[in-house]
This record gives sequence, C-alpha cells and structure tokens, in this order.
Amino acid sequence: MLEKGKINSLQAILLMISMILPTAVLSVPAITVKSARQDAWLSIIVATVVGLLIAWLVVTLSLRFPGKTLFEYVEEILGKIPGKIVSFFYIWWFLHMNALVIREYGVFLATAIMPDTPISVFHIVVVVVAAYAVRNGLEVLSRANQLLIPTTVLLATVFILSTGNMKLSRMLPVIDTGLLPIIKGAAAPASWLGEIVTFAMIIPYLNRPREAHRVAALSVLLVSFFLTASILEALLIFGPNLTGAWIFPVFNAVRLISVDNSLGRLEIIIVLAWVLGGFFKVGVFYYAAVLGSAQWLELKDYRPLVLPVGIILVALSILIHEGIVDLFDFLARVWPPYALIVFEAGIPLVLLLVALVRGKGGRKNA
Amino acid sequence: MLKKIAVLLLLIFLTSSLAGCWNRKEITDMAIVLGTGVDWTAEGRLRLTVQIAEPGAFAGEEAAGRGEEATNWVVSAEGKTIEEAARNLAPKVPRNIFWDHCMILVIGEEMARKGTNLVTNFFLRSREPREIMWVLVAKGEAKDFLETYSDLEKTSAQAANLLTRMRTGYSVQLWELAEMLAGKGVQPVVTRVEVKEAGVTPGPGQEMKPPVHKQVEISGVGVFKEEKLIGWLDDYETRALLWLKGEPMEGVITVPDPGEPDKEVSITIRRGSTKVVPEYDGKNLRFAVKVKMEGDMVEQQSRENLAKPEMIKVLEKEMAEEIKKRAFITLEKAQKEYGVDIFGFGDAFHRKYKKAWRELKNRWDTEFAEAEVIIEAEAYVREIGLLSKRAGTPEE
Repeated sequence: MLEKGKINSLQAILLMISMILPTAVLSVPAITVKSARQDAWLSIIVATVVGLLIAWLVVTLSLRFPGKTLFEYVEEILGKIPGKIVSFFYIWWFLHMNALVIREYGVFLATAIMPDTPISVFHIVVVVVAAYAVRNGLEVLSRANQLLIPTTVLLATVFILSTGNMKLSRMLPVIDTGLLPIIKGAAAPASWLGEIVTFAMIIPYLNRPREAHRVAALSVLLVSFFLTASILEALLIFGPNLTGAWIFPVFNAVRLISVDNSLGRLEIIIVLAWVLGGFFKVGVFYYAAVLGSAQWLELKDYRPLVLPVGIILVALSILIHEGIVDLFDFLARVWPPYALIVFEAGIPLVLLLVALVRGKGGRKNA
Repeated sequence: MLKKIAVLLLLIFLTSSLAGCWNRKEITDMAIVLGTGVDWTAEGRLRLTVQIAEPGAFAGEEAAGRGEEATNWVVSAEGKTIEEAARNLAPKVPRNIFWDHCMILVIGEEMARKGTNLVTNFFLRSREPREIMWVLVAKGEAKDFLETYSDLEKTSAQAANLLTRMRTGYSVQLWELAEMLAGKGVQPVVTRVEVKEAGVTPGPGQEMKPPVHKQVEISGVGVFKEEKLIGWLDDYETRALLWLKGEPMEGVITVPDPGEPDKEVSITIRRGSTKVVPEYDGKNLRFAVKVKMEGDMVEQQSRENLAKPEMIKVLEKEMAEEIKKRAFITLEKAQKEYGVDIFGFGDAFHRKYKKAWRELKNRWDTEFAEAEVIIEAEAYVREIGLLSKRAGTPEE
C-alpha cells in the first residue's frame, strides 16, 4: 500500500469540509444569487440533495472494494485498459480542479488585499506548503487540518457581528422568479458539494470504513450549512441585486462591520479562514492527484511524484485562464455541468452499474 | 544537537526575512484622505477634491500646544474619470494617497444631477475606500464643503462624519446607496449638506463681536430618480421620510397644548415602527401605511396639568394627527412633485404581489405617483420627565 496512515471519522469529516468549503464560500454566493436571487438558499437545499446522492453513490461504490481507492477499483470493474483511460481522466480532473482552486486563491488575495504582489507568488507559496503536507501523508494533512477548527469560532463571531446590517425582509418574496432559476442556481453549489467524490481516495484509509456513509453525509450537510450561512451573510445585507454585483460578496459583507466605530476592518478574518482553508483544499486535491498518479503508474511510493505534480499545478494554475473575468465565467457556466455530469455523478454511476452487472466486488468483506 | 542549532538559526533567519513587507507603507509616506468630494465642472470634467489629514495636528497633548497648525489640506484635480483625476492629483501630493480612512464622499449638486454612478463606481470597485463611508450631496460645490473649517472637530470631514453618524437626519452609506440603486422598488435619497454660517468662537479680550464661521450643516435630503438628483426635501420633510421608510426614528413632535391651544407641548420620539400594506386588485393600487410611535413629553409651555391620563390621551391623539399631517406633506411631495418612490413601497409591493411586480416594476414610479395612500398613525406618550405639572404653577 502506498499510504500507511489511518485517519478517524472526525478527521475525515473535517478534511472533507476543508476540501469543499473554502472556494465554495468564495465563489458560490455570487454565482447562485445571480441566478436564484433571494431564493439562493433554496438552491442550496436542492444542491444538498444532489450532494447527498453523490456521497451515497461514491461510498456505496467504494465499500464494494474495501481497501482500494478509486484508481484501483476502476481497473477491477472495467478491465485494465479502459480502467487506465478512465483513471487518467480523473488524474486530469484533480489537476484541473486544483489549478482552478489555486487560481481562485491567488486572484482573491491579489484583488482583495495584496494588489502589488505578483499572483504567481501566492500560487507557488500555497503549492510548496501543500507539497510538504502531501509528502508527509494523509495523516499529517488531516491532523494539521484539525488546527483549523478555531477559525470557525472567528467566522461565527463575524457572522454575529454582521447581523446588525441584516434585514430578513431581503429574503422575501420566496420563489420570486420561479423554479427554473433555483435549479440553475443549484448547479454551482451542487458541483462543489459533488467534490465529495474525492472521498473515494480516502475511504480505504479510514480506521472505521463502516462509518464512511455517515462521514460523507455529515460532511455534505455541514458544508451546506456553512455555505447557506455565508450566502445569507451576503444576501441579508446586500439584497439580491447587489450581492450578484460583487465578485466576493461575503468579503464585502464583512467589510461593513463596524462595532461602535472602533471594532472594524474584520475582513482579515475572512482572509485568514480562506488562506488556511484554501491551503487544505489545495492539499487534498494535490494528494488525490499524486496518489492517483502513483497508483496509475503502479509505483511503490508516491513521494517522487510530489514535486513534478506540484510544478504542473503551479504552471497550470497560471496558464489556465487569462484573467478574473475568464476564470469566473468558466466557474459559473462551464465548470458545474462539466464536473457534475462527468466526474461527480456520471462516471461513478456507470462504475456502480457495471460493477453490479459484472458482479465485481461485494459487500461481504466490507 | 548540531541539527537543532541549525534549525534554530534557520528559523531566526527566516522569521527576520519573511516578516518584512517589501511594499510596506509607513504612515509618514501616506496621505490619509479624510473626506473626498466630486464636482462636475463647467467644461464637463470631473473634479476630485480630497481632504488630507495633517498628521501632526492629530497627535496628542504635546502637539496640541503648537496651537494654530492646520489640521488638513484640501487639494483638487480634474479628469475624465475619478481615477484619472486621482492620477492628476498625484503630482501635487507628495505622498501615496491612502483612501482607507475616507469617511465621507461628498457629491456636488451639479455632479449629482449628472449621475452618481459616475462617482460611486470607482469607490465601490477599488479595494481601499470602504463601503461604509457616508455619502452626502452638497448644495453647491463639494469643494467648498471640504474647504470649510470646523470649530468643534478638527476637520469638516470629521464634523460631517459625526453629524451623519448621530443620524440626526437621514444618513446613507455608500453600500446602501448602491443597494437602493440596484433595485427598482425604491429610489435613492441622500443626505444633503450645506455650508452655512453657524456659531462664533469667542475668545478672551475680544472687543468686537467675533466673526461668524461658515460651517457644515446637515439639511434634509436630495431626492434621486435612479442615479440623477431631481430635487430636495428639507429637514422637516426628511423626518417624515424616515417615518414612512421605517428607519430608526428620532426627533421631536410639537403639538398644541390640549388645555391652552396657543401654547405648545414638545414630545421626543423614543421608538417607532412602520408597516406598509399594499393592496392591488389588478387595477387599483392602494397602500395602507401604519406608523406606530412612542415618545416622551419633554416640554410644556402652558400651566395646564398634563399629568393626567385623560390629558395624555388627548396629547397622544394630537401627536398622531401631527404625524399623519407631516407624513402626508412628504408623501404628496414625492408623489406629485417628484414622482419617485423614495419610501420603498415598491419593495413592499414586490414582497406581497410577486407576479404583478414583474409587470409593474418597469413603470413603478408612475404607478406609485397615482397610488392611493392611506396613512394611519398611532402614538403613545410614555414618560413625562421629572415634573408632573409645570413648576411654579400657582395653587388653585
């Protein structure tokens, strides 16, 4: 086995939250509110259902092949050559997604707080730190991630301090523009929640794989909860029109906080949470790509791949989009259907059906 | 051991080199903008005026002794856009212009008539200026406003900041203006400021009457149709605007004394709430507005003993009448004179009739102007201060 570490269920949940949430909070509110307006929270509910289905799908599939990651059982289900082709696409998907995440990370830091720093600096720094964590294995990554918990307290404080600017009436009327915009608005959050597919790389390393279903479902629910909170943070303050106009609405919402004209400029808390969370998000996908590549190449150790994959990530993240307009257009229109239909729901569903038909794997030894 | 020392040395080296910010901005390199203003010049260009703090004057006790040092420096530059004007400002300002502490954005009257979007976009888009700066519309030029001097505060920007923060009138922050502009259910109103002669600064040994300074003053609001200024409401009307908008209510209502109608009673508003209920049957648009207000009696001119339940009842009735009267004046002005929905009745309508709104929203202002509005007021007098009846009232 390439990975020798084991993590417990709590660590897995926290890792999954850190894997999905950071960029979701950054990008999803603006995208969803543009479409679903004040009904964005309904979109999140729809997306949560989709996310839970994907989580169920992936865990069911993975539990048929205990101790094996996605890359290993794909070959068992489809046969060696087709399996290699499908898993090659997954390696690409992990790299592509990670490049987008790194770019969002850099773009946000550059536009919001450090305009004079070249964007590649942020990309290199986050990848180097993530490379170190990935090299040390899953256990180290998840334990470091546990250190993130205190920041949620800060985020909750920020939310509470924002309530002074909030008006509940900005959520009315409910279902204003009809069902279609709500469904459309659900696409982006669903594609983010669908990233739970990556859990398939981690299930074999759970110390109690039986709890995998519960872990996946709880992760999706908790992410939805935080995502809803962040959407409401922006929506209840700015209303649907202005929320849709900002690029990072949550950031702007926090900038408004001014307690008695002395406690203000709290947006740095949001930046802190994003910098920390973004690092773990990059780390998990980096890990998935490295481990997957090692399994694809049938290596004995994944560590030699950390450096080359890191270099690919930095290069890809800079080359992938020309600018912020390009990036966010891609994230809003192309990414959700592409990720959701192909990698998050499509392929796992086909794999499960084929596994059932061909009688591969089984619950007996799960 | 050697390894440990090496690690330690590396740590020390790294912390010293990583913590430094290569593009740091020291306070002495910054020109801190306290307030800014934009005017539309006769040649059709934007003129950006900034009031920059003179840091020495803000230092504590020690510096205070230096006396008559100027607290700020006001400088302007022109350009086709705000950014261009700001760039043209740079050659005149020997430091980096720093927007983060800018408290007020004053829009000159001509500029406001031309459109606020030409101004606000820059401040919302850039990273440094904050969305919570107060937006003000100056009667006259924004430049004149920023160039005035304040007696109590150090600069006119600070004075305006404090005045708006006290919410003596209707105050609006930059993001609130952006929100009002973004929707169709409400038209923006922005605090109006003026430069007026106000007060004197007496000193010892003054033979002559000291000169009267021109100072900043808040006087009502500017009424906008979308992004363009179309008119004003004065202080008296602005009060009722707040009531109709359901904003936090402050202020005073003066009604004739129930006992001696030629004398007055003043009641300060403690709290209140407003409920707007739209009714629409596909043709006729009607709004039932219910204003509920609680206040304290603070002054009485007559000899009448008002501290009696039946007198308070009469006072409450008079107060409600006065609220209705004032609200009606403002409403009439918005409907008949300006024809814009500055109260957010459109938003209330949207919340109740979401289908009809889709149809009406593009001609909402005309619909609003023709709508029937019924104003109901409920008033309560809760406290009467420390006196029960007028002190010095002769025995009966």
